[in-house]
Amino acid sequence: MSDAVGLVVGTEDSTPLKFHVAVAPDAYLQLDDVVVTQRLIPGVGPVMTSGIVTEVRSRHEGASFGSDVFLIADGVLPAQVQEIAEITTTRVDPEVYVPPRPGEPVRRAQGEERARALYFDQMDKKVPVGLGRDGQPVYLNLEFLNGVRGAHVSISGISGVATKTSFALWLMHSIFRSGVLGGGGRNSKALVFSVKGEDLLFLDKTNVRLDDDLRADYAGLGLPAVPFESVGFFAPPTPQDPTGRPHVTGRTSGVCAFWWTLAEFCADGLLPYVFADVEDERNQYTMVVHNVATRLKFEAQAAGVDGAVTIEGKTVRTYEALVDFVVEKLSDDSTRGTWAGPAIGQGTANAFIRRLISSVRPLREILRGDLQKSDERVVSTEGQQITVVDLHNLQERGQRFVVGVVLAAETRRKEASGTGSLLFTMIDELNKYAPREGNSPIKDTLLDIAERGRSLGIILIGAQQTASEVERRIISNSSIKVVGRLDPAEASRPEYGFLPPSQRQRATLAKPGTMFVTQPEIPVPLAVEFPFPAWATRLSECIPGDLVALPAPASGGTSTAPAPSVFTRLPPTFEDDEPPF
Amino acid sequence: MTITVPMTYSVEAWDPSYGTTFATEEQDGLAGSEAELEVDIEVPADRWRAVSPRPGVKHPQTVLFVDGVRRVDARIWISQPERVDDLDDGVALGLCASYASGVTLCQHTAAGNTARVVGSQIRRGLFTTAVTASTIDAPGGNYHAHITDADPATPLPQLLSAELQQRLADLEVVTAVAARDQLAPSQQEGDLLVVDGPLRGRQHLPRTLGYIKTHHSRYLEVEQNRLVAQLEPGQRTPVFRMGTNWKRFSWYLRLPYREGAPWAGIVRVECSADLAAAEAVELAYLSQAVLVRYASSEIKDPRAPQNLYPIAGLEKELRRRLGNPQILHRSLRTRRPR
Repeated sequence: MSDAVGLVVGTEDSTPLKFHVAVAPDAYLQLDDVVVTQRLIPGVGPVMTSGIVTEVRSRHEGASFGSDVFLIADGVLPAQVQEIAEITTTRVDPEVYVPPRPGEPVRRAQGEERARALYFDQMDKKVPVGLGRDGQPVYLNLEFLNGVRGAHVSISGISGVATKTSFALWLMHSIFRSGVLGGGGRNSKALVFSVKGEDLLFLDKTNVRLDDDLRADYAGLGLPAVPFESVGFFAPPTPQDPTGRPHVTGRTSGVCAFWWTLAEFCADGLLPYVFADVEDERNQYTMVVHNVATRLKFEAQAAGVDGAVTIEGKTVRTYEALVDFVVEKLSDDSTRGTWAGPAIGQGTANAFIRRLISSVRPLREILRGDLQKSDERVVSTEGQQITVVDLHNLQERGQRFVVGVVLAAETRRKEASGTGSLLFTMIDELNKYAPREGNSPIKDTLLDIAERGRSLGIILIGAQQTASEVERRIISNSSIKVVGRLDPAEASRPEYGFLPPSQRQRATLAKPGTMFVTQPEIPVPLAVEFPFPAWATRLSECIPGDLVALPAPASGGTSTAPAPSVFTRLPPTFEDDEPPF
Repeated sequence: MTITVPMTYSVEAWDPSYGTTFATEEQDGLAGSEAELEVDIEVPADRWRAVSPRPGVKHPQTVLFVDGVRRVDARIWISQPERVDDLDDGVALGLCASYASGVTLCQHTAAGNTARVVGSQIRRGLFTTAVTASTIDAPGGNYHAHITDADPATPLPQLLSAELQQRLADLEVVTAVAARDQLAPSQQEGDLLVVDGPLRGRQHLPRTLGYIKTHHSRYLEVEQNRLVAQLEPGQRTPVFRMGTNWKRFSWYLRLPYREGAPWAGIVRVECSADLAAAEAVELAYLSQAVLVRYASSEIKDPRAPQNLYPIAGLEKELRRRLGNPQILHRSLRTRRPR
């Protein structure tokens, strides 16, 4: 066999699931290479064992002491350099689990053999997810994404270098544009919550660094190198602006301001979303929350079309006024029983009041009764394929409120409309919305999506710096687990047990643009590199003139660095300025 | 003579390293002898003094070290039914031995320094006096029968051992010549071949040194012998000639050694007596330049410094290539016809 890269070694145990290969002197094996070996079994025929290189080591044979290397280099002591590659089996075909025998040749898997080794031949619908170390495409099985056999994606990695958001967007681009969704693709939607800057407000603009090389990379994966086409952008209203313009600086057109009217707040019972730990049974005041919400639902009457409400004869136009009204009712001994519920003491009511008052500042911009009626203010995925909700100008409490309310509404809408299409929901900083400890309405919604979303067609794409701080049931329900660069302490946590030790170590030095992707069918995570975004990820990456009424770059809150050369692209490095994820 | 009848034998139960259960103790082949001595080859006998290394002696680009290893895998008893009435109860002793020889090729060129084992050859043999002996199958090489005529003057184990040693010496010559032949002509020019042990039977090889680590006999007279103990590291005695039926040029050399007995680090180096005396002296100076470089450190080798690194590495490699003795012993036991 002339294409053999080495032989199975006999000095280490060879097992059906892990074996070692002595690399031939003129050959090499690197991590992530796919290799295959064959064993002839009487009565069965040839059994192909395929695997991935998970470790390679090189050492002097014939040397006993560390200092022998100097003698060997001096040409005094005879020795031989030998490289041994550790192979973790991915597939045994047919399924006769016998170890490869020492001395059997091992060859690099290419073409059809590589596809078989990585189970690509069994995937009816393949989503390209990037290029492997060998420069060949690596695929995900759509059935583990669209809910047929599994759903949800969990992406972990250090902020800044793990490129979590970039990968999530790349994955969505791949799902939408590779044609795997078929007829249902047109109705499939994505909902993206953006928490870091205005980076995601330029998804529909071509990246200025898109060149022929990058187009070739996309073409190699069977994808068009184009920006997202049908995108809707939502941002909160500008503070103290009576007209309700969206609070964005980089992009001025095509962004809709979103808010909830006080009438909706009362009628839909959104009050629990204001509180972070409202389902925590150790807290007394949670009963007050539900009583007040019920009261508001029955007492508040819409006043006019702008969203103001009239409660017990008093017209309320701002969230601040609404809070004042509730506080007054609870502070008064004569009305506390009606509003807070029976047998609620002053102390419990005060606990509620403290939390309610502290919510005024984070929420007063998005709960309004004083802005002119607008049809575009409602965050909905109906009008476009990708819906981006910009949260970065909101405080954390406001961000939680928006995510919770929007997700609950979309979940209800999906429940009503059935499973004909998919809704991909991308949430960054998942640990903020679904922390491991405690309970909240948002976490309940997310858990509901994680556990039931598969059948509803809601697919969660969650990103977090530390999977160990996210609710365990959400992580365990994710079929696809993706890891970028990890913090060394984080990498040793049990949440990353799916990574073999060598990959765990490697994840601590993964470059931007490199991710380890685990899917249920393939027992070893695959290292992939995904191409640089074809869409702009910041204002400076937009082609000048592409944005209507583009403001002067100096006034923008985004990068003020000069646009990098057209020829520098990822996987090379990001600059030190604000990263696009 | 072709023997078609399957040979029958039984395997001695004791591990070969313990010797046989009945035979006399095996003796080393090198017995001391009162050799003739000529000490005024390089300088007159009364002006003997330590010779320091001569500056400017160029280290050859290619140095070859030849060595062989031998191991008795099993002692067997071969049945000789037709000689049942004889003295030896109808059985004859046989040694199943593995032996190997190889060359460490050390090259020091502008392209870099390398040391590698080249041209190693492994043989297995059955050494016996039984005329019915035939080849025994074994994994990784059969034991070829080498039948020796019995010699009443020599104890049988010693006779067989000497025969094995002779075969090994022959093999060493073969591998040394083969390794030299494989060199490019330019490399052959100034190469030096170092044979581990005395030159016995290898005097004809050009540019060859015999390298003797252990001293069984005292060759020099008392006055000259005193000089040996006084040598500083790197120094040597003047060249002398010795021998009776065989003749060699020889000199003692002290290798670098931190401390120890008077004779610690002393080796005897010899070359062919067919050379002119001046050539032998040149070789002696060359040996000072070359051998010191390869001397081993006492923290790494129990036989330091005499056990040179290239030879230690070669022996280790050759012993490994001899095969696993347990497996060979097992195969000898299990494959014998019953």
